Amino acid sequence: MTTHRPRILVIDDEPQIHRFLTPALEAAGYEPIRADSGEAGLRELARRAPDAVVLDLGLPDMDGKDALERARRFYEGPVLILSARHLEKEKIDAFDLGADDYVEKPFSVGELLARLRAVLRRGPHVEAAPQTVVAGDLEIDLAMRIVRRSGTLVRLSPKEFELLRGLVAAGGRVVTHRQLLTAVWGPAHAQDVQYLRVFVGQLRQKLEADPAAPRHFVTEPGVGYRFLAG
Amino acid sequence: MKDRERGVLRAGIASGYVAALGLVVATNGIAWAAGPRLAGANLAMLFLAPVLVSAVGFGLGPALLAAFAAAVSFNFLFIEPRFTFWIGHPADLLTFSMFFAVAMATGWLAGRERDQAQMARRHAATVGTLLAASRALAAATTPDEVAQALADQLMSVGAGAAVVVLPSAAGPRIAGGPAGLDRLGPAAAEAARDVLEAGRATDDTATGYRFQALDGAGGRVAAIGLRASTPRTDTAAEALVSGLLRQGAVALERAELAAATVENQALRRADDLRSALLNSISHDFRTPLSTVLGSVTTLQDYGDQLKPAVRRDLLDSIREEAQRLNRYVGDLLDMARLEAGALTPKREWADVREIVASALARIGDRMGSRRVVRDFAIDLSRVKLDRTLLEQAILNVLENAVAYGQDGTRIEVAAYEDAGQVMIAIEDEGPGIGADAVKVIFDRFRRLERASDRGEGLGLGLSIAKGFIEAMGGRIAATSPVADGRGTRFLISLPKSIHTPKGLL
Repeated sequence: MTTHRPRILVIDDEPQIHRFLTPALEAAGYEPIRADSGEAGLRELARRAPDAVVLDLGLPDMDGKDALERARRFYEGPVLILSARHLEKEKIDAFDLGADDYVEKPFSVGELLARLRAVLRRGPHVEAAPQTVVAGDLEIDLAMRIVRRSGTLVRLSPKEFELLRGLVAAGGRVVTHRQLLTAVWGPAHAQDVQYLRVFVGQLRQKLEADPAAPRHFVTEPGVGYRFLAG
Repeated sequence: MKDRERGVLRAGIASGYVAALGLVVATNGIAWAAGPRLAGANLAMLFLAPVLVSAVGFGLGPALLAAFAAAVSFNFLFIEPRFTFWIGHPADLLTFSMFFAVAMATGWLAGRERDQAQMARRHAATVGTLLAASRALAAATTPDEVAQALADQLMSVGAGAAVVVLPSAAGPRIAGGPAGLDRLGPAAAEAARDVLEAGRATDDTATGYRFQALDGAGGRVAAIGLRASTPRTDTAAEALVSGLLRQGAVALERAELAAATVENQALRRADDLRSALLNSISHDFRTPLSTVLGSVTTLQDYGDQLKPAVRRDLLDSIREEAQRLNRYVGDLLDMARLEAGALTPKREWADVREIVASALARIGDRMGSRRVVRDFAIDLSRVKLDRTLLEQAILNVLENAVAYGQDGTRIEVAAYEDAGQVMIAIEDEGPGIGADAVKVIFDRFRRLERASDRGEGLGLGLSIAKGFIEAMGGRIAATSPVADGRGTRFLISLPKSIHTPKGLL
């Protein structure tokens, strides 16, 4: 391999997970770095500056969310969360704290690596979002507030546009209900998920080829939404 | 009050009047016999005697009758002119008037006094009955016991045969009544249902019972049937019955609440277990499943690029995790069997040492580099027990010792006899548990939060071991720390049913 093997830090206290993830990452062309606790993970993160982090939320020595919060103070690269389905609240919190994506346990290596490739492609977390986005037949100019579908101008209400901006600017990452509601309606409405359902529905009606089977405005059940260009 | 008593009482009241008149007649006889030796005021004093005696002995009514009869006969027989009600002499008129007034006054005072004393006695008796009833009702714990106690109390105060009918899922049923009565006639049953459902009191002699609703604070609690042939009693007895019914309603409600509480607690325990099981399955099964799925997909996707040693390691990992899952499933099934109470030990004569050895063999590789020290008594009685249950229990204790005793430490396994029991001791050199935690070590899903232990079992093993040992009549106890603040010792004791002669061992 060349010197450009991306370094992936895996923070997980289960030795069995490292046992297959290490060879799998190596075989897929990455350089895995193993950490068995939150403290060790933060240390490796500071020392080795990995290209991406795979973080298990259930750590013995600290809350996985605390680890994420501390990591985000000095690390801007993508973070992929491993979590269990029954810990939905934790998952949402993790997104609010700046996680890029998640994989539910148990997972197949193929799924994990696909998500990893996606977050690596999107690049650093704080990179300025592009002002114009082309996704399929959609052209979105965030600066000029212009949206075209198949070349035809689509009229959006101010709230619809703010919602669109919130989703598109995330660059394919999951945006939680709370993040979207706070950005568009303000902190007082952070719990009013039904607003989102209505307005996302309107965006799909106006911008999706088939609103019943959305390709761009994808629901992440219980967590939020994400905008996919493809 | 029984019917006969009431009859005696009624006869007593009538005979009071007769006796009062008799006393007056007797006084007239004495006065007649005394003749002229008694006259005027002395004679009047003599005639006061039957009035006072009647007042003290028979009460207000007879006393007033005696006073009237004494005055009339005194006038008729002894005041001039005799044998008329005419009073000739003005002085005699005064004497007679004084006598009449004194007789009426003393008779009234003494009679009223007596009647009040009697009423107080009856009050005391009522209060005593109610107190006894409340004690009897308080002693009853289940709704059925309360119903029977209430029926007994109603019958003991003379209300006649009484039945207490409680509502139930299968319709009204007799919960308390005369001995031997376990079903009502169809008409009476219909009337009881009417009262329970609609609260309509019945007074239908055709049913044999007069039913009335018994209502507590929270609604209808029962229907009470009193024998319709029982005559309506006086107001005091009626008050007693209604007092009993009020107490009965409160007691029935209390008993029903208590029964509901017990039921709720059982449901809550079952609920706790269910949620603990679900939690355990979602949490403890996920890691081994993640490992199996992750390792298999790694082999599928990248098998060609992996070194043979790595491939072998992944396959080992898959096998180990599958075995772990199998143990978890076994634990859950064992626990479910214990919970369902479906455990019936198949007892046979066995040598405990063989079973310990077989458990040690089953734990096999998982011992790692821990050193097992066996200390078996040469002379050990055979015990009648279920081999499978004991082996599983010992295995669970050994697995606990392996989980907490690090590599390189000792695990001591001993079997010996003590005080008529066969003992098995398993001691590890782990970090120990501590006096507080050791108390709850056999609780379900109890697991020490320690890094080295993560993913090592469901926290069911020891409670299963306890369940199995106790199902065979044995006991299990834990001590920790054992020495120098470290180590845990489990002691299993099995009752020795028979001693086997040395020669047979």
